[in-house]
Amino acid sequence: MSIKEATPVVTEARAFPPPPRPRASQRAWDDVPRWQIYLPLSIYLLFTLIPFYWILLFALRPTGSTSLVPWPMTFDHFEKVWTEREFGTYFQNSVLVGVATLVMTTLVALAGGYALARFNFKIKRAFMLGLLCSQFVPGALLLVPLFEIFAKIQMINSLGSVIIAETVFQLPLSIILISNFIKNVPPSLEEAAWVDGCNRLTAFRIVVLPLLRPGLIAVGSFAFVHSWNHFLFALMFLNNPEKQTIPVGLNTLMGADSVDLGALAAGGIIAAVPVVLVFAFIQKWLITGFSAGAVKG
Amino acid sequence: MKINIRRSRRAAAAVALGSVLALTATACGDDGSGTGGDKGDEGSGKGKIVFWDNNGGVRTDAWKAIIADFEKANPDIDVEYVGIPAADYQSKVETAIQGGGLPDVGGVGAAMIASFSAQKVLEPVDDRLAESSLDGKLNEDMLTSLKAAGGVDDTLYSVPTSANNGVLYYRTDLFQKAGLDEPTTWDTFYEAAEKLTNAKKNQFGYTIRGGAGSIAQALDAMYGQSGITSFWNGDKTTVNDPKNVEALEKYAALYKRATPSADLNNDFTKMVAQWDSGTIGMLNHNLGSYQDHVKSLGVEKFRGIPQPTGPSGKRVQVSNPVDGIGLFKSSKNKEAAWKFIEFAVSHAENSKFNESAGQVPANNEAAKDAWIAKAEPTKLAAAALNDGSTTIVQLPYYLPDWGTISKADNEPNFQKVLLGKMSAKDFLDTLADQLNDAQAEWNAQKG
Repeated sequence: MSIKEATPVVTEARAFPPPPRPRASQRAWDDVPRWQIYLPLSIYLLFTLIPFYWILLFALRPTGSTSLVPWPMTFDHFEKVWTEREFGTYFQNSVLVGVATLVMTTLVALAGGYALARFNFKIKRAFMLGLLCSQFVPGALLLVPLFEIFAKIQMINSLGSVIIAETVFQLPLSIILISNFIKNVPPSLEEAAWVDGCNRLTAFRIVVLPLLRPGLIAVGSFAFVHSWNHFLFALMFLNNPEKQTIPVGLNTLMGADSVDLGALAAGGIIAAVPVVLVFAFIQKWLITGFSAGAVKG
Repeated sequence: MKINIRRSRRAAAAVALGSVLALTATACGDDGSGTGGDKGDEGSGKGKIVFWDNNGGVRTDAWKAIIADFEKANPDIDVEYVGIPAADYQSKVETAIQGGGLPDVGGVGAAMIASFSAQKVLEPVDDRLAESSLDGKLNEDMLTSLKAAGGVDDTLYSVPTSANNGVLYYRTDLFQKAGLDEPTTWDTFYEAAEKLTNAKKNQFGYTIRGGAGSIAQALDAMYGQSGITSFWNGDKTTVNDPKNVEALEKYAALYKRATPSADLNNDFTKMVAQWDSGTIGMLNHNLGSYQDHVKSLGVEKFRGIPQPTGPSGKRVQVSNPVDGIGLFKSSKNKEAAWKFIEFAVSHAENSKFNESAGQVPANNEAAKDAWIAKAEPTKLAAAALNDGSTTIVQLPYYLPDWGTISKADNEPNFQKVLLGKMSAKDFLDTLADQLNDAQAEWNAQKG
């Protein structure tokens, strides 16, 4: 098997912003009455926000209250889950798992994606197919083998096991996404850097990496959010309550025969806030990232 | 550059291949770390043991208090507590059976014994119990129930800690306002369900369980009304007996007529939440939700009484799973693990645990403690279970297929019955066929 550098394909147009929308269609869009846009959006928003309001209501109103507004307001449920139910610890663990998964996934996906985008090798198509097929394997199916491996290498009850498992499951899609982003960066830019004396790594770092920002944000945020929400690996690989993550903590609020709905709602909000903040912060780049990754020649 | 790439590629391939082989080799070996096949060891009676709680979170404080007491009384034993969410406990144990890492001691309720004992991961505890200070001090019915749930040779695989029991909760304020009598019989139950319903004002007489867990509740209502006292008549189930069919028709007819239409998807969480926060007259659940009702309604607005009695004046109920703790066969420190089990089910600790859980203690001395008299539903449930006024129909927890039959296979059909898309008779005939097949298969396996 030999690796050949991929024949440069001229794709310079894709690296630049799309051309402005034709004037006629812009006019047609402007002619649409405002209510035809805002009414469906408002209805959709209502359906989306009511469940969130309901969670907020249960979290902020006292136990036993049937009021439809959170008044009198209490933060007892938040205090209870944060201190008594150790959500403070779960939160720290989830942040650690999320950030570590993000970093590891992004770094490995960058390397793998670059190889797929810039080199031709014999099993490239089979490798891509393998990556795609791996997406159809549910995590639960690999639970026992993973458990055995982590047990043998003494990693059960270590956050490292969850981070590795999450990273492994994130990588296939991340590599495919990143390789598409890299393909959209003209190889001529890198070649110009080589001519100026850069080696491949420096050229990649200085020229390609800055252009990949939307892609990196898309892949990184996916990795973070997925590992933040993921329940199964943390449940199976971690026993010590001090190592547990938020999703497992949330499930412990639901007993076999009783549920503290106030605490559950407060725990749900604690779990949701970082994800909402992440998306609020990165949404501009995320949308750019999705659209850039979607263009294929 | 190409040469460098080839060299690094070969090196990477060698490292990858080596890693895969190393991991495969280690994964195939057996280091005896608590997998299903391990026989374990008695150990020194000292050192560390691991305890998995099958209702983690909700019971964590109670277990931590018991563990603290135990470690004080046994300073040479450390107990590592692992609280596992109730809904995920069985899958966690199943994974550990396959992959290793089983605990020394774990919660093993009646509903799980059949699966665990069939995989031979639990240590029989009859002999240990016979030699223990607990001998003769545990509730005989609970012991019988756990032995029956194991399904093999009348062996005890789990020491009972507590029994849950079906309770009819009713809103005393609504009953008083409507001038209704306490729903102690099925006739008064149906009368109250109708009279308390005013759908236009969002008031309902009853909330029915139409979602997850609906089958056990429907069976409870059926056998309670029909008065049939056994689940089996020979090798055939009695679930589709004409009296049960009639009872189910009457019970399912309450849906929408005296219940919210959203009840179709009610699991216990939704059912309890809407009863606690709405204007609904009655709710069937178990002792486990008592504290939730107290927090939401206060003790003045509701009561929890045993299930209504049938036309004969007798009360018939289906069995609620008895909870217990089992000793895992793979434990390397069985002596210390058994000491912990003995301690946890001793008078003082069992009393403390059940007071917190609001359930009926397995320790007979604990069942006489003063707190029982103050927790009315627990007191009434304990009395109903012990004074001979109630006949318990034992559900076949020992059938390996019971979980599937009573949940995935038939809960959607029960929803069809509620919606009028399937008759009660067809539903119960289907259920009966599946149960009879499962029983025949189980008998064949037993030989």
